[in-house]
Amino acid sequence: MNFRLPHIPWKWWRRAAQLLCLFIFLWLFRKTESDGGPTIAFGANILFRLDPLVAASAVLAGVKLIAALWPALVTVALTLVLGRFFCGWICPLGTLLDITNHALPEKAAPPDRRWRVVKFFLLGLVLTSAVLGCQLIGYFDPFSILVRGMAIALDPWLNRAVTAPFTLIYQQAPESVSDITEAIYAFLKTRLLPFQQNSFAFSIVSFALLAAVFALELVERRFWCRNLCPTGALLGILSRFSLLRRFPARACGRCKAETDYTVRCRMGAFNERGLLQPESCNLCLDCLDDCPIDLPKFTFDKPKTAPAPFEPSRRLFLGSVVTGMALPLVSGAVHAARGLPADLIRPPGALPEPEFLDLCVRCGECMKVCTTNALQPVLLEAGLDGAFSPKFVGRIGYCEYNCTLCAQVCPTGAIALLPLSVKQKFIMGKAVFDKKLCIPFVKNESCITCEEHCPLPEKAIRFRDVELIHPVTKQRVIAKRPYIVWSLCTGCGICETKCPTEVKSAVHMFREEAIPAAVRNDAEIMDMVSQPAPPSSEPKPRANSDGY
Amino acid sequence: MKTTSVSAVAPIVTSNRRQFISRLTAWSAGLLAAPPIFQAFPQSLNAATAEPILSVGKGTDYEALLVKVFEPLGGIAPFVKKGARVVIKPNMSWDRKPELAANTHPLLVKAMARLCLQAGASKVMVFDRTCQDMRLCYASCGTPAAIESLNDPRVACTFVDDRKFVPVKIKKGKGIAEWEFYKDAVTADCYINMPIAKDHKLARLTLGLKNIMGILGGKRNALHPGTGDQSLNQKIADFNTVLTPTITVMDATRILLRNGPSGGKQDDVKELHTVFASADTVATDAYASTLFGLKPDELETTKAGFAMGLGQMDLNKVKVVKV
Repeated sequence: MNFRLPHIPWKWWRRAAQLLCLFIFLWLFRKTESDGGPTIAFGANILFRLDPLVAASAVLAGVKLIAALWPALVTVALTLVLGRFFCGWICPLGTLLDITNHALPEKAAPPDRRWRVVKFFLLGLVLTSAVLGCQLIGYFDPFSILVRGMAIALDPWLNRAVTAPFTLIYQQAPESVSDITEAIYAFLKTRLLPFQQNSFAFSIVSFALLAAVFALELVERRFWCRNLCPTGALLGILSRFSLLRRFPARACGRCKAETDYTVRCRMGAFNERGLLQPESCNLCLDCLDDCPIDLPKFTFDKPKTAPAPFEPSRRLFLGSVVTGMALPLVSGAVHAARGLPADLIRPPGALPEPEFLDLCVRCGECMKVCTTNALQPVLLEAGLDGAFSPKFVGRIGYCEYNCTLCAQVCPTGAIALLPLSVKQKFIMGKAVFDKKLCIPFVKNESCITCEEHCPLPEKAIRFRDVELIHPVTKQRVIAKRPYIVWSLCTGCGICETKCPTEVKSAVHMFREEAIPAAVRNDAEIMDMVSQPAPPSSEPKPRANSDGY
Repeated sequence: MKTTSVSAVAPIVTSNRRQFISRLTAWSAGLLAAPPIFQAFPQSLNAATAEPILSVGKGTDYEALLVKVFEPLGGIAPFVKKGARVVIKPNMSWDRKPELAANTHPLLVKAMARLCLQAGASKVMVFDRTCQDMRLCYASCGTPAAIESLNDPRVACTFVDDRKFVPVKIKKGKGIAEWEFYKDAVTADCYINMPIAKDHKLARLTLGLKNIMGILGGKRNALHPGTGDQSLNQKIADFNTVLTPTITVMDATRILLRNGPSGGKQDDVKELHTVFASADTVATDAYASTLFGLKPDELETTKAGFAMGLGQMDLNKVKVVKV
């Protein structure tokens, strides 16, 4: 008896790979969170380390080789063999777009091919700007857009949306009901939801970028991948040299007549003359399954004909280079006008400012992983190219003394991973008291909250006992008035987070170099406001910066 | 007649504006309602007695030591009834290792949980609202791992759930009238208070009465400033009128002499290998202050607790039993 294995269509293999990669990505995303231990074993940062655009722009902008980005070389090597398979088989954003497309009506019109070259323009622009020290990858890299959008918008929103109804039932319904719902909630809490409710400034901006990528699916299938994705463009250029080739390199007459492949191909890879653009094909292999005469093959044989001509023109690349050269000038406007804000503090271990912005790929993972929600996205206060980079906001959260997770998940080393004992002494900034807000100064009452929380064994906040008259009771009281031990303070910000004053904290973190010399004094309790501002001390001025 | 029957069948269709508004109000009431004020039991779990017993023990095997300390008190049985829902409230506030004396010793908490299980508790809950990130504090203090090693489904060391803080009226309060308490703590049949004796810049020492801060919700740091009745010490005594511990077990296996309550330096830690317990929290606090070379009346919190009738601070009137 003749026994044959059932034929499994190629698309099922591809879908399995896509779903597996998507699942791994989502699992890693969920695992990018503290479990109380000193290290994170798995992180979603592998996605960024696989991304050759991240590697290229960080290496060009930082002018140094980054060893942690070696997986990008694997992607490049595999692309030179297999073509742009990454986009069709691995990329989680591509998979999510494919899933979205299933829910949308099929497109009948052929794609508008004029959009096709935009991705090459963006690629040229990002890389040229990067060479000139202006890192724009946060606006255009697919994984920056995806991971950041999920981390700072979707994930906190999902947590809130799921938790709110359970809380309502828990608080208002009888126990017989809430016992059941709480069991469900406990399950979700441990498996699906983040540990705590976080919130991020301007999360709507990162969400809008991600939402736009999905909304474009209404216009064309895989609109982002076909037309806009600069990583796809880079892989596309490489795939023109790939060994694996589709044969024939064009849609045959029958296909053109019966099932217009310019419309049906997922990537719109066949141009108007029916020729396959190798830089567009993402090897989804739908055409192998769909062809009624089993004509197409993917082979390593040397192609008999030259591939279809490269779509973007030389002029387009020139334009992208010129634009990429102009943008660093524009982005310097904020620096020229005001310098860096005195309280724009970077995560612990962050490289000095220009270098930090060169290497940071705005992935949002440090913000996601920060246990106290202290790392927040910058909008425009650090310049056009500073957008979506992390800043430390002491009023929201603080830097945990025993935590190095932000550096652990940083894919490029923009936040250097320091040994814990070194990180514990790393100066992020310095705390400065505001006597007009601090309770022992205003009400002559002891408070000690800041000192109690100071994690340094030697205590960077200490007191002076001052005998005073209480403003209300008119009795003699001893108020413990705090001061900062300048030489010890690391700017971890826990005093600012925990300060019990309303709205504004009586102690605030500033960058060390932005604090006037007169305030840098252990013995005296000074506030920033009464001191003249120092000139801006940006280490490497990008444009004319004459004070702020 | 006909119209009423129609409206009974299809009320939505025939609703007028007034009906619509009343229905809308009814539907949205649940969404708008604040969590209800929780009624804490009027009498405390354990009323102050004339001459409380305080049992003190010393030893390096902390699990055996705890069992010994309970002997003069009649063992665990008077405190944990069969089937009781028990809360053990250690101090797990800081991301510090056990040897730094910022948190209650994990082995002591484990021994306490084991005693409760042996007494037939139906459920033993261990938690504390921490001052730093909960995950880090829980991992560093070692208590969750110690509780886990008991391997009993009745006991668990769980994270504090913010949704479970309920507003409670503090009827006897002099300095504060209402605050949020952790629901699991105030509804427990038995509340075991397990502080560690530490230095504190505002309360002078943080002991048994102050350990109640760990079941408070809201912005606790705002409780710090204040003078007279508004002082932290009075407010701590007020909180203890809502929930008076069934028993307080003081961890003085090592105490934090300076730079408390978070510490961080081995130099500031003094090893005493001492544990003491009493149903009277004020008495345990009074005794604890002597370990720091202080008299009980040098602590405003203890004095406030005594004044509120929470217990005995005169150690001459406390029956101290050394085991």
